[in-house]
Amino acid sequence: MKRKGLTILAAMLVVLMAFTAFGCRRKSDDPKGGNGDKIIIGGAMSMTGIQAPLDSPAMEGIEVAIAELNEKGGIDGKLLEFRNMDSKSDSATASEVAKQLVDQGAVAIITSSDYDFGGPAARAAQEAGIVGISSNASSPLFGSTMLGDLQFTLSMWNTTMGAVIAEKAYVEDGLHSAYVITDDFIDYTKSLSRYFVECFTKLGGKVLREDIFSQGKVDTAALIAHYKALPEKPDFIYISSYMPDLGTIIKEMRTAGIDSPVYGGDAYDDPALFELLGPEFGNDIIWDSHTFSSKEAVPKFEEYNAAYKKMFNREVDAPWSMSGYDVMMVLAEAIKAVGTDGAKMAKYMEDHTFELLTGTLDWSDAASGHEPNKAAAVIKLVKGKPEFIKWAIPDYLPAP
Amino acid sequence: MNTDILIEFAINVLSMGSLYALIAMGLCFVFGICRLINFAHGEFITVSAYTLYYLGTFTNIPWPFVFLLVVIVGLVVGYLSELIAYRPFRGRSLDALLVTSFAISIILQRLFQLGISPRSRAVPVPAYFNMNVTLFGVITPLRNLLLVGTTVILLVVVMLIMKYTPLGIAMRGASEDFVTARLMGVPANLVISVAFIISGLLAGVVAVFWSARTGSVEPLMGATPLLIGFISIVIGGMHSLPGSVVGGYVYALIANLLSLTLPSTLLSFRDAIMFVIVISFLILKPEGLLRGSYQEERVG
Repeated sequence: MKRKGLTILAAMLVVLMAFTAFGCRRKSDDPKGGNGDKIIIGGAMSMTGIQAPLDSPAMEGIEVAIAELNEKGGIDGKLLEFRNMDSKSDSATASEVAKQLVDQGAVAIITSSDYDFGGPAARAAQEAGIVGISSNASSPLFGSTMLGDLQFTLSMWNTTMGAVIAEKAYVEDGLHSAYVITDDFIDYTKSLSRYFVECFTKLGGKVLREDIFSQGKVDTAALIAHYKALPEKPDFIYISSYMPDLGTIIKEMRTAGIDSPVYGGDAYDDPALFELLGPEFGNDIIWDSHTFSSKEAVPKFEEYNAAYKKMFNREVDAPWSMSGYDVMMVLAEAIKAVGTDGAKMAKYMEDHTFELLTGTLDWSDAASGHEPNKAAAVIKLVKGKPEFIKWAIPDYLPAP
Repeated sequence: MNTDILIEFAINVLSMGSLYALIAMGLCFVFGICRLINFAHGEFITVSAYTLYYLGTFTNIPWPFVFLLVVIVGLVVGYLSELIAYRPFRGRSLDALLVTSFAISIILQRLFQLGISPRSRAVPVPAYFNMNVTLFGVITPLRNLLLVGTTVILLVVVMLIMKYTPLGIAMRGASEDFVTARLMGVPANLVISVAFIISGLLAGVVAVFWSARTGSVEPLMGATPLLIGFISIVIGGMHSLPGSVVGGYVYALIANLLSLTLPSTLLSFRDAIMFVIVISFLILKPEGLLRGSYQEERVG
């Protein structure tokens, strides 16, 4: 009995280790050459845990970029290698794996797509004197003010994301009163709501009520009851959350017969949401995001999609993969121009404007936080299918 | 408060309570006999929900059979986990079992994240689930009524089994005093396996209604039902099946009451208030609302 138990425990451990090993092994092909012949880009991104849904598409984009760069011979004859270690959606682990990657010779760290989960890896990169960059962290905390002068995010900040959709709703669509639902689980969802409300009220909009919940614990019945008890019917509902609760809220509200338009941010850009709502409920839902998977929005989309399909055997299904691709391309351009010195790379990134799949990007200097100046793609869900409306830059930007 | 709001509130409490009662009962079956909080119970639900996703999306099997298969998968997972992961450690301390249940939970979560996708998937359900019906002047999705009906049927069936069949009597005996029950000739393996099988079956039923409500399945979806189930059995009484059911409904009542009455600034503290209530229960009424027959071996 005792031995049997031990055998099974050992077997379970082996399974667990096998998965952990699998988790660490996902890096680009490394045909030949030792450390000296290649440039290592570290990834402290999450393959498991709550952050994995955002990070895994970004990692795919990075892989596509790496393959493209290496096909062209790498940088100055050196091949690039993306070495990701699972940060497990845990801030302590993120810091730890970033340090390990630095020890392994990483010249830059690509962090998880969120300030809470990715920030610690950026701090470790800053400590080691190398560039840290996130593909999709949109919290204004993710920048040089909080993390150090070598740290960047490729994503527009929530200041832009909140402002663009406030202007879209108030100015363009003529909607003047809102019911706001905020998920307080991470800084992303909290700050997005804050900036949206700031811009919307500045324009003259009225917030009838704001309800707060925590991801994973949404009580849709209460939200519906609150909506119905509002003194007047709001022109629209603003929801700052992400899947899966985001889908639950919209579906349940639509099921309950609430047909007000729903506005939100980049987390709406999720095929699971479109599928969940389907043609019946997937209407009058508008959000802004980093980019859009079409030729109309992204001139080079078809080339990217072809490369992506070749590698993963399916079409691009999340815009975050394009941000991942862009991050790698920005790093590659900087390395090509000034080498792998962290300070020089950061200076190059501050001084140049980049033409990317996710639009034109221009970072402010370190003193003003490395604010990413970028346009947002405004998207609308029609019969369960996303449609690109326009690229937008807000007239007014709230202070971070 | 007008009647519409009151009726809507009652429907919400009844339907959510039914779901919570099923979760709590699933946990309580295993706890009653093995004294084990099965932390993998949430993943039993996730496995069944993924089954629903795959069968509903990629096959044309009629819905009743899909649901049947989902429940069978839950049942098989419950049984297999008992066979592979719990039985070999049963002679050991409870701590070992507890660790094992965490291990199963983590292994399954990692399997879903790395093997399927870390991102959520939309789960299809038959259209009539989301069809609205009018009940006492209040509009509610049909699935809420289906859920309450299913729960009532399951509760009656479980009650009959526990009360009148030899197996049920053996299980009740085992949950009161396992050692004596064994001395009386109750087969331990059988009783424990059946407890896990019923627990898995209930998880399968929960998976259908849970994912019909949320609309999606993702690797970590099991955490919330597990927590709700755990709180429910603490409220209701950890050693009593009827207690766990009552606990589920009480949880739904308190949660709905809080969400309806708390001002929006305090709404984000709803769970904190829930926990304060649970802690008060543990202090003031550690045996829960319904006192099980088993009272010793209290912690602390």
